[in-house]
Amino acid sequence: MTWLRGVLNDLADDSPEVDLAEQTIRIYERRRQTALSLVAAALLVVTALGVTTAVRLLPSKPDAATLGTVTDLPSRGVGPVSYAYRTFCQPETGKVPPRCKDGGWRVVTRTGRTYRVPEALPSLSGYRIGNYRPRGEGPLDSPLAISQDGRKIAYYGAEESTFVVRDLASGERWTAPAKVPEAWLGSLSHLLLSRDGHFLAFTKNPPLKDPAMLIDMRERILRPLPNGWNPIGLSEDGGTVTLAQYAPKSRLQTMSRLWTTSSAGNATTVDLPQSYFFSPLAPDGKTVMAIENRGTPSEPCRKGDLVRLDARTGEALQRIALSGLFADGHQISLRTWRSANEVTALTMPVQCRPAPKQDSSLPKEQGDPPYVTMTAYAVNIKTGKVRKISTYTAQSFFDIVLPGPTGAL
Amino acid sequence: MDRNDSFREFVAAHQQSLMRTAYLLTGDAHLAEDLLQTVLLKVLGRWFKLSRIDSPEAYARKALLNQHISWRRRRAGAELPSTAPPERVYSSEDSTVVRLVMRQALMRLPPRQRAVIVLRFYEDRTERETAELLNCSIGTVKSQVHHALARLRDLAPHLAPKFAELDDIREAHG
Repeated sequence: MTWLRGVLNDLADDSPEVDLAEQTIRIYERRRQTALSLVAAALLVVTALGVTTAVRLLPSKPDAATLGTVTDLPSRGVGPVSYAYRTFCQPETGKVPPRCKDGGWRVVTRTGRTYRVPEALPSLSGYRIGNYRPRGEGPLDSPLAISQDGRKIAYYGAEESTFVVRDLASGERWTAPAKVPEAWLGSLSHLLLSRDGHFLAFTKNPPLKDPAMLIDMRERILRPLPNGWNPIGLSEDGGTVTLAQYAPKSRLQTMSRLWTTSSAGNATTVDLPQSYFFSPLAPDGKTVMAIENRGTPSEPCRKGDLVRLDARTGEALQRIALSGLFADGHQISLRTWRSANEVTALTMPVQCRPAPKQDSSLPKEQGDPPYVTMTAYAVNIKTGKVRKISTYTAQSFFDIVLPGPTGAL
Repeated sequence: MDRNDSFREFVAAHQQSLMRTAYLLTGDAHLAEDLLQTVLLKVLGRWFKLSRIDSPEAYARKALLNQHISWRRRRAGAELPSTAPPERVYSSEDSTVVRLVMRQALMRLPPRQRAVIVLRFYEDRTERETAELLNCSIGTVKSQVHHALARLRDLAPHLAPKFAELDDIREAHG
């Protein structure tokens, strides 16, 4: 029977690699809630028929748990979140999410429930000129981060005027010890939450002269960090932070002993010979995956190989050819490490055109980007094999957050 | 560990093997994903009970086969091979062409016959196990295998010598 078994085995090798657990749980919960709503509706009809017509039916409040509805994040009792996205409400084309709050964050739990985070300061769109802050200060990026386990979120609290870490299940909150003026948030801000939510790193672009910082949320103390970098790794004890810069040139910086010296600790910076988009620091704490950016003004989306780099020396340790899934018609952002060997690659279709020639006239008013479907794949860094994990809808890579550290686009 | 965590563990451990079988049954990546998704939803709906038995995977596998057969009944006539088998003479040693021809031939089998081929020759199940999974007698499994191989021989005449070898081995074991 070996011949037929061999042929069938070969055929089965063509089967897609999938991860259906989260999707199944989401669909199941959605159906269960719909069924509950239908039962509730049926009961209501029966009751209404049974009582006298004099009974006035009060307008029903929306069911907070019902999927498809978006409610404010309850103060406690929320399960782990699988991602967060930001909503800008004037897309140039396509639909606007129901109950859209301009610049507001939403979190989506693993069971598929969506909540707005009203405590987080809304961002101001960088796409709409009229939406800029007064005095031409430009857009405002209010960041949000999710811990690796999805159980804590960090954001800039509008009321607190500083950063807040919140445990979604218990409702416990930790507030940073110092106020952070909104102006310090810049047009591109980054937050990184340590694995247990004890430490929070904040940096922003453009660097200007404001400080970036590492915050011990429990002990309520701060350490300065350089601005203009993206935090991509933070050790469990908060003592070592890894930072990346992708423009104007690619650099990696490791700062260690941050809490044991009175200064900013020891820092090692390495300039890389070419341009990269970085993943978060790998679980080994020593390496990062990066995609070679071979884009040119005439061919802006060209990408090279996936490369594993030593975060301290910049040495290329391993090279993997990118799968055809990541053709040049897609942008890629490397995100959450799912295990020691699998990193998430978030992809988004793009129309790659050469940059238009510089126009000296005033910028034209434009809307926000449309909501597009992004697909997440798990990339095995040993074998180069890729499997689809999930799809999301968001306006850009800057408007979607997955658990754990974010890479540097 | 909550109910969903144990379900996640179960899916992580078994989904790829179930997906391979689903792909052989449907011959299409999207249909296979739909089939497996439908089955996993059934499994999750009964997870409270299933997580307490020895092998929820056996339940999932049986549900996969039943769902495939019931789908095929409803979709009868809707599924056709996307391309005709190659007209030219090909070598039975050319693995790529053999795979293509076999895939198309498999897709032309009735669902039960396809299922017995997958269970007996891919999953290496005994006739008794196959009968239990398909809720039928051992005699039915034997006749379904016989008819399925004969049909495959008709659909892929260039592979007839290979099927003849199979018959010889079956008889020797029979």
